[in-house]
Amino acid sequence: MTETNTVRFAAHKLWDLLTSLKLTIVCLSLLMLLVVACTLAQVQLGTVAAVNLYMRSFLVWWQVPGTSWSLAIFPGGASVGLVLMVNLAAAQGQRLERSWKKAGIWIVHAGLILLFVGEFVTGVFQVETQLAIEEGQTVNYVENTRQQELAVIDVTDPAWDEVHAVPEGLLADGGVIPLPGTPVALRVRRYWENAQLSMPGPGFQPVANMGVGAGVQVQPLRTVSADDRSNVPAAVVEPVAGGRSYGFWLVSGLLGAPQQFIHEGRAYSLAMRPRRQYLPYSMTLKKFSHDVYEGTSIPKNFSSLVHLTNPGKGEARDVLIFMNQPLRYGGKAFYQASFGKNDTLSILQVVENPGWLLPYISCLLVGLGLLVHFGISLRRALRRRSAALEA
Amino acid sequence: MKLGTIGPWVVGLAAVAWVASSLLPAKPVRGMDVDAFGRLPVLEGGRIKPVDSVARNSLLMIRSQMSFRFEQEEGGQKRSHTVGADEWILDILFRPAVADAQPVFVINDPDVLSLIGQKLSQTNRYFAFRDIRPFLAEVQAQAAVAEPIDPKQRTRFQGAVVNLYQRVDLYLRLQNTVQVPGGKPLLEELAGATEPSARERHSLLAGAAFFRPLPPQGTQQANWHSVGEGLRDLAGGGAKDAGLTALARVGAAWTSADVPAFNRAVAELRAFGVAAKPEAVAQGDHEIVFNRVDPFYSGMVIYVAALLLVFASWLWLPELLQASAFALLLAGTVIHTGGLISRVILQGRPPVTNLYSSAVFVGWGAVVLGLILERMYRKGFGTAVAASAGFASLIVAHHLTGDGDTMEMMRAVLDSNFWLATHVTTITIGYSGTFLAGAIAIAWALRKHLAPKLLPATDKTLVSMAYGVICFALFFSFIGTVLGGIWADQSWGRFWGWDPKENGALLIVLWNAIILHARWGGYVRDRGIMTMAIFGNVITSLSWFGVNMLGVGLHSYGFMDKAFYSLSAFVGSQLLLMAVALAPRRFWLGAGRGDAGVGKATGAA
Repeated sequence: MTETNTVRFAAHKLWDLLTSLKLTIVCLSLLMLLVVACTLAQVQLGTVAAVNLYMRSFLVWWQVPGTSWSLAIFPGGASVGLVLMVNLAAAQGQRLERSWKKAGIWIVHAGLILLFVGEFVTGVFQVETQLAIEEGQTVNYVENTRQQELAVIDVTDPAWDEVHAVPEGLLADGGVIPLPGTPVALRVRRYWENAQLSMPGPGFQPVANMGVGAGVQVQPLRTVSADDRSNVPAAVVEPVAGGRSYGFWLVSGLLGAPQQFIHEGRAYSLAMRPRRQYLPYSMTLKKFSHDVYEGTSIPKNFSSLVHLTNPGKGEARDVLIFMNQPLRYGGKAFYQASFGKNDTLSILQVVENPGWLLPYISCLLVGLGLLVHFGISLRRALRRRSAALEA
Repeated sequence: MKLGTIGPWVVGLAAVAWVASSLLPAKPVRGMDVDAFGRLPVLEGGRIKPVDSVARNSLLMIRSQMSFRFEQEEGGQKRSHTVGADEWILDILFRPAVADAQPVFVINDPDVLSLIGQKLSQTNRYFAFRDIRPFLAEVQAQAAVAEPIDPKQRTRFQGAVVNLYQRVDLYLRLQNTVQVPGGKPLLEELAGATEPSARERHSLLAGAAFFRPLPPQGTQQANWHSVGEGLRDLAGGGAKDAGLTALARVGAAWTSADVPAFNRAVAELRAFGVAAKPEAVAQGDHEIVFNRVDPFYSGMVIYVAALLLVFASWLWLPELLQASAFALLLAGTVIHTGGLISRVILQGRPPVTNLYSSAVFVGWGAVVLGLILERMYRKGFGTAVAASAGFASLIVAHHLTGDGDTMEMMRAVLDSNFWLATHVTTITIGYSGTFLAGAIAIAWALRKHLAPKLLPATDKTLVSMAYGVICFALFFSFIGTVLGGIWADQSWGRFWGWDPKENGALLIVLWNAIILHARWGGYVRDRGIMTMAIFGNVITSLSWFGVNMLGVGLHSYGFMDKAFYSLSAFVGSQLLLMAVALAPRRFWLGAGRGDAGVGKATGAA
């Protein structure tokens, strides 16, 4: 066999494999196993971590106990999804007849491909944040509850705050972080992904020498991933400006008291907080309602009456956000998610997903396709039956 | 007319008549019309329902039965009679001493029994409140320890003691709804409402009341009131609530067994309800019919009868018995459907609103599909499979009623008739289809082993039935799953969250898709498809109930630990049946006799 023949033979084999129905069944079976594993893992890991481990990954890794080695032991949801998509597309072109008889199947498969694409888009682009707002309060940012940032705020001007935010990831990398537009740079001295603060005990060794953090003990904790818990990162940073050090400051979301230093007449405050994204519009909560069924504490409805102001577009209007009725605005969707503070605080879940429409289209296609296909099959079966009865 | 034509009609109509007979009003108790009392509308759990429903559901929660035998001494002689829910609630409200002596608490846990100074015995598992009262402090202390523990982590004893405590709590709340036991009867309470010493009792009644019997009146009062609230209004100088007076008279007459006074006071109370809330009274009457007929229980009995007739038809009088079985199945379906429609009307909601109603609806879907198959193929298999699916799912539903009212109000996020009607109903039909395909496959497998003669035509019929039903199930479970995604996108902002219940639905879709693709690719034939269809039962039961046991996710609306063993047993039985389906030809009873056209089926799966 010549070399080109071998290559051609291999390519042929590969094509056969890619278009085979066996591959479809293998992929569907792998997907089932992944879904089962992902579901069971949620009990321990929480949804987000389990989904990232099994579904939104190309390989499922397993850490060999007692070592730092990780072995890839199973294809992840992303690889299986990709292979399935390629298989679907290839089989479509190669094997399936292009005839009206198969029109239904064609539509179904097109819809399915779109569904996979939608899940990929979601996996890559979807950002989930929160907007917590108290009655009477106006808020123009959303917060990411799973990520923190170190905000260095120039508070010199009482009417105007200039915010320089350092994401958690940069702190974790360490080194010196310059703050553009200011003479200040931050040198990261220590960083903990998850840490608890406590009153100093015996043998206390301070990690900071400035601000409230100087009198606080840091206890590193294991990182968590369950849905109802989140990591609280902490760091020790040393602001440096004009060749001068302003000491070691402890920052953590658990420190309530403000911490400030002054450089050349400008006051800078340091605060660790959920990562913020500022919006070109703002919302004011006029009223939060929590209705219950008469004579019970079973919740009937939660709703937030919000005043939406967008000076850029000259918009100012009231919006009622309630269960099953989100507000879609500026590429984001705002959902009534939670509440607190004796029913005066409303928490809106904010989701930004450029692919949110894809599943709608795909489900229309698949539904239509299945209907067409089963309609065609049923007609054929009935025709056969009546032929058999006549015979 | 021939027996073959008339017989099935007689059988079917007899079944319907049997159910209709339950509509006859209940016998008066001590001459008093307790039935009329049961019809009175009250507000409980956020829903207007007849007293009868409150009584039945409470008794079901406390005793796991809706009535009981009770022997009591009256006038020196022992009298044993069946106490119905309405009579029981009258006693609990107005004759606490009588109620306290009735054996309504069922206790099976040996450790809880020893806690209340009793031994486990074969003869008696039922105890009166009187027996429990001396140990109340201990029960409460033990429950207080166990209650903060996550239900999944509780030991058997802890679970049982919390359960007993909750039932005692319900019992006490019922007893403190109208008057304080050991305190004054309501009539005296009304007369002395303004006394300063009464204030404390008013608050106690208002706080403990399990239901609210006083409908809103006119414009001055918008809400249903409890007796405590009514008394408080009266003490505060408000007008006397006519309903309150009538209720007090009912109590006095019930205690003194004054028949005419009781019947008059109940009629007065009803007239008062009609004046204030006519639609509530009408709804109460409808619900009474529903309670009496107990359509899902009667349906279950009729399905069993139909199943037995099909079995009998394979041995004797095939034509007549098969037609009669079909007639019974039809009668069962009529009752089942009527029950579903009744629920929809009473609740003002689509048919599936909780785990209980999903079981009822899954059964209904499977039965209707089975009926259609029977009309198409006329071999008796449709009847057999439909009757067993209907029976099995109604049994499951029956065991899910223990949580009390099966028509509870929907929590905020579920409060959407549109999505309940589309997503929940479609996905449940998907479950029905998958189970029905599994049931057909089981019939196919058992037939292989038991039938003395193998007819390839019958075999083929069963396989094509299963195939059609799998297609149907794939269609509905896929559409249902995607609709669920859209609902989630509407209410939580993500189309797909890999939530356990969503994953369960996805597994059903994937499995049905695998079966169909394996068949289209020719990788499996009859035997493979049938074995895979049985495994569909496993997957569906796990995603229906199993994920609720994980206790995570947004859909864990019905956590049940007791069901764990039943579910495991079911999964085990299905695996066994798969082995039966895969067992080689030489185990078949009819092998060699008749022509088995599918002898070379591949055993994949």
